[in-house]
Amino acid sequence: MGAQLRVDGVRHYRGGHEVLHVDSLDIHDGEQVCVLGPNGAGKTTLLRLLAAAERPHTGRVSVDGTDIEHGGIALRRRAAYATQRPGLLSTSVARNVTLPLAWRKVPRKRRRDLADDALRLLGVAHLADRQAAGLSGGEQQRVNLARALAIDPDVLLLDEPAASLDAESRLSFLHDLGRALTGRTTTVVHVSHRADDALRLADRAIALVDGNVWQDDTADAVIRRPADANVAALVGYDNLLDAHVRTDGEVTVRGEHTGLPWHGEPGPVVVAAFATGVCVGSSASAGVPARVERVVPGPGYRTVVLEGNPPLLASIPLRAPAPSAGQHVRISFDPDLSRVLPRSVATHRGPAPAPAPSPRVPAHAATASGT
Amino acid sequence: MYDTVIEVLARSALVSVSATLVAALAGISLGTALALARVSDSRAVIALVNTGMALPTVVVGLVVAMLLWRSGPLGGLGLIYTIPGMVIAQALIVTPLVTGITMAALRQLPRSLPDQLRTLGANRLQMVLRLWLEARVALLAAAMAGFGLAISEVGAVTVVGGNIHGHTQVMTTAIVENVSRGEFGVAIIYGSILLGLAFLINGLLASVQRRAAAWERN
Repeated sequence: MGAQLRVDGVRHYRGGHEVLHVDSLDIHDGEQVCVLGPNGAGKTTLLRLLAAAERPHTGRVSVDGTDIEHGGIALRRRAAYATQRPGLLSTSVARNVTLPLAWRKVPRKRRRDLADDALRLLGVAHLADRQAAGLSGGEQQRVNLARALAIDPDVLLLDEPAASLDAESRLSFLHDLGRALTGRTTTVVHVSHRADDALRLADRAIALVDGNVWQDDTADAVIRRPADANVAALVGYDNLLDAHVRTDGEVTVRGEHTGLPWHGEPGPVVVAAFATGVCVGSSASAGVPARVERVVPGPGYRTVVLEGNPPLLASIPLRAPAPSAGQHVRISFDPDLSRVLPRSVATHRGPAPAPAPSPRVPAHAATASGT
Repeated sequence: MYDTVIEVLARSALVSVSATLVAALAGISLGTALALARVSDSRAVIALVNTGMALPTVVVGLVVAMLLWRSGPLGGLGLIYTIPGMVIAQALIVTPLVTGITMAALRQLPRSLPDQLRTLGANRLQMVLRLWLEARVALLAAAMAGFGLAISEVGAVTVVGGNIHGHTQVMTTAIVENVSRGEFGVAIIYGSILLGLAFLINGLLASVQRRAAAWERN
């Protein structure tokens, strides 16, 4: 069973500063939602409010229509909150997992069975009798998640559980997490600053910037059609270039045409492009002039770093001839992998300008940055 | 002589163990409340607790004696020159020490732990009990330090207990009395026994501490 979460007119402050400002947010029963945002965006604050670990300074947070302020411990026990740091207790792994069950008055025999099932699901059943303090970071996170899943919560709140893991452990952990959530009707809210987490685990992604909901759409749409430059940076676009839309509708970068479409008003905009969407041509070809700073080899491709502040990145296949450092080139943008975006939707909150359809986004491009 | 020593030794153990238990209850509760209310981060609170840990025992004895004196505000209780009166005085001396150590021990735990326990479904009592379990080694150390302070204390028990033979005399007051009479041999015997008692009880607490550290392994 899941639960319907509702955030209504919430303002929350820390040290006199507003850290969260959400007018309205509904998370439906059984939905799997990823909240994306840079550090300090208010993601953890939102999660803590949903977990009833904090009360909003103004506004209301409710679970199935019951205000968390009035729901008491019965409401809190419907949710499980897996924090970024596992915070395991100084006891055995099994005891860590059974303790929340004991607090819920689950019979002793059943506790151990549920704990074993959850540990098995996360691949750490063999650690049940070990002391939690002696586990590796990845093992601790798995136990932390098993502890949350063992109670079969209506709401599962995950605060970047894979953030501290190395790349290999992270992928394996996220894979097992996805498998553990398959077939469950639990409402899941997963906070992350990585776009690939959104793609992997969520039906829906909410971009949170400066405590405000910047974009709320399907995970795929947020990555393919970010609302503005802030969200583009968040979802891993490698390049964000200042650009200008002329009165004739042409989008220019450094005064040169890009050929990219834009359906909004003339004025300053941003061109967001994945490195794979930046094509490097000779100085005689059409495009925006640039100078090669250096060429960095990568797995299966080379990254051409072009001078600029910040530098512009372009990925070229290994089989393609690489330009040399100092060489003058011209760049163009693949319209499938590049977007023209408003600099910020903060100045005109509301629906972002209708973007051009985008048929594909290569997975590795979307996961290339942890911005 | 032998009977007297045993009697004084038993009285010392009774007073100090009772005072330590009372102080542990009060100090752990107060230290927990201060730590959870986050006022333990306040320099003023830390300074106040630290001052309490360094209270001159004779001054505490004087204040307690004035309160318990027959004409004092609590004189009707008839506790002056009694063992309960001595326990009160020693508990007042030991409580700030236990409070301070408890506060420090709980501040050493991850700051997010109380919140985390609540989000795991613990009610307030379950959360506090779990925090104590997490800090169990330090809390037992607080009890050991408290007992050490109580068993070696002489000022307050002299003023409040009056060192009455067969009634309120304890090991420390017996040592002082024998030294003042020039009977150093007897004083050394009392001193050695007192050391033995302190060693025994601290050894017992250390054993409990070791077991506590390993507790819940399975």
